Amino acid sequence: MFKLRPILKTYYDALEEGKVLGMKCQECGDVVWRPLPTCQKCGSTDLEWFDMGDEATIDEIIFENTNLKGDYTFAKANQNFVNKEPYCICVGHFEGGNLFHAALYGVNEDNVDEKISMLPITAKVEFIQMDGGFKSVGFRIKD
Amino acid sequence: MEQKLARSVSIIGTSTLPQRYFDDPMYEGLSIYELWACACHQAMEDAGVKPRDIDKIVYSQMANYVTAGNVLAMVGTLEEWIGLAGKPIIHIEQACASGYIAFMEACNAVASGKCDIVLVAGIETPKHFNSRNQPAHMIRPIAEYEEWWSPGRALFDTTYYRFDGVSDNLLTDEQARLYMKNYGVSEETIDDTYNAMAVNLRRNASRNPRAAERREFAEIAKENGFDDVMEYMRSEEHNRKITRFIRKRGSVLHNVAAGAIVVCSSDIAKKFSQKPIEVIDFASSSNTQRFPYCFHQMNVDVRDALYKDDIDPNELDLMITTVMTSGEQLDSAEVFGYLPEGKGYQYELDGRTCFDGDKPINPHGGDLSFGHAFGASGINMLSEAILQMRGEAGDCQVQKDVRKCLVRGMGGGHTTVGIILETKE
Repeated sequence: MFKLRPILKTYYDALEEGKVLGMKCQECGDVVWRPLPTCQKCGSTDLEWFDMGDEATIDEIIFENTNLKGDYTFAKANQNFVNKEPYCICVGHFEGGNLFHAALYGVNEDNVDEKISMLPITAKVEFIQMDGGFKSVGFRIKD
Repeated sequence: MEQKLARSVSIIGTSTLPQRYFDDPMYEGLSIYELWACACHQAMEDAGVKPRDIDKIVYSQMANYVTAGNVLAMVGTLEEWIGLAGKPIIHIEQACASGYIAFMEACNAVASGKCDIVLVAGIETPKHFNSRNQPAHMIRPIAEYEEWWSPGRALFDTTYYRFDGVSDNLLTDEQARLYMKNYGVSEETIDDTYNAMAVNLRRNASRNPRAAERREFAEIAKENGFDDVMEYMRSEEHNRKITRFIRKRGSVLHNVAAGAIVVCSSDIAKKFSQKPIEVIDFASSSNTQRFPYCFHQMNVDVRDALYKDDIDPNELDLMITTVMTSGEQLDSAEVFGYLPEGKGYQYELDGRTCFDGDKPINPHGGDLSFGHAFGASGINMLSEAILQMRGEAGDCQVQKDVRKCLVRGMGGGHTTVGIILETKE
């Protein structure tokens, strides 16, 4: 029986408390982030909240030359981010979880080749303040 | 009645998520996505199918761009929330007829042989929206939408500059004028008929836990010092006229809602449901608001397209119809032959259209009391028909077996539909 309960609000409230939540299927054990009320593998609706921890593995770094002026170039910080520090895009995963796209801080033109050569690498969760009055999740790799 | 589709189609599952407002404690902290997921899973559970069994989704929503963060084609996200990512999905937007059209498209997908099991589902939040730069649970009243937006005005296209005063309320007012002209009924009788209809529908809704407004007008009247509920309904102070003929209580009630239905080919329906309902036939007609009496004309067009061969309106056990404003219920009931032409008003005045009357119409409470959520409403109306046909409608269950049911819907003044359902056993 599907449980009518807040998914989005619970997730965003947890971010305010410094916690990243996903959901874990109680039938097949699959973990999904960002959280969804239906298991993407087996279709079960028996999912419970799951603490994703504070770090993830970065599998790919998508770093475009700033001259391209594309959406993902690090010179174009998201207009809704309060902090305008440059970032790039990554593909990563939490332990046991699905692949995701996210903002990645700590990569620049000087170290990008070195960081890519080190992949996969671990990155810490970075809480991104949004101008809409809530937080989003990005990552920051160590120097 | 004999199915008119190339391949027989049956309904095997429905949702029962109630009509509510976002300030209802039950919906605290939720967004349209949770409601969507709940309705879809309710229907799948009711049908006994898993997400992997679904071949296709037909989804209806009218105002997604306005109310859902200026998002177009949110189809992929909606699929993810119900575990159906990767399956084909179609979005139907045809104003408040969207849900009915989506149902017809789902049936067509099965009837064509392309799909065996199809989920049809809708979602709508007419009174709230979320901003582009906020997640969907951070809802705000629609009055705060940055650009002035009125669903009534948005229904008029811009091919010609249309006189904005021709609102949908005025168009429904026409049904009263036409009725008076055709049958010599007085304006006072029309007013009493429409008020009686509102009272009847609220009486139905008071027995339906899924309805949005469930307090009977008789009780509200008494609370305000009126022993006679009809005196209360005639009172400008408590039930003002919003057009010449339509009063506030005779106008549609907007609420957030989600709904879902599962249809499949009839040859496998018994595997899933003990009470499958067969889809006999459906028809639709679209028109513009350009010409007077278009609402009435669309009813005539759909009736003529639908009533063929062995379909006899006298055999119908129940009629469920969109009732944006009071005139729509009376006009459609007579055009489709459910009530006798020129005499239907007396049925309303006598309470014979109530859930326990001999000619029940909208036993769930109709759009005036059950509620109405734009593109989801058609699916919700069909769900109420399904519950009645299964005998599972609860305290608003009509007092006879409902074997043959006409579901008639309308949206935006430009599309009317008719759907005939039947239980064979």
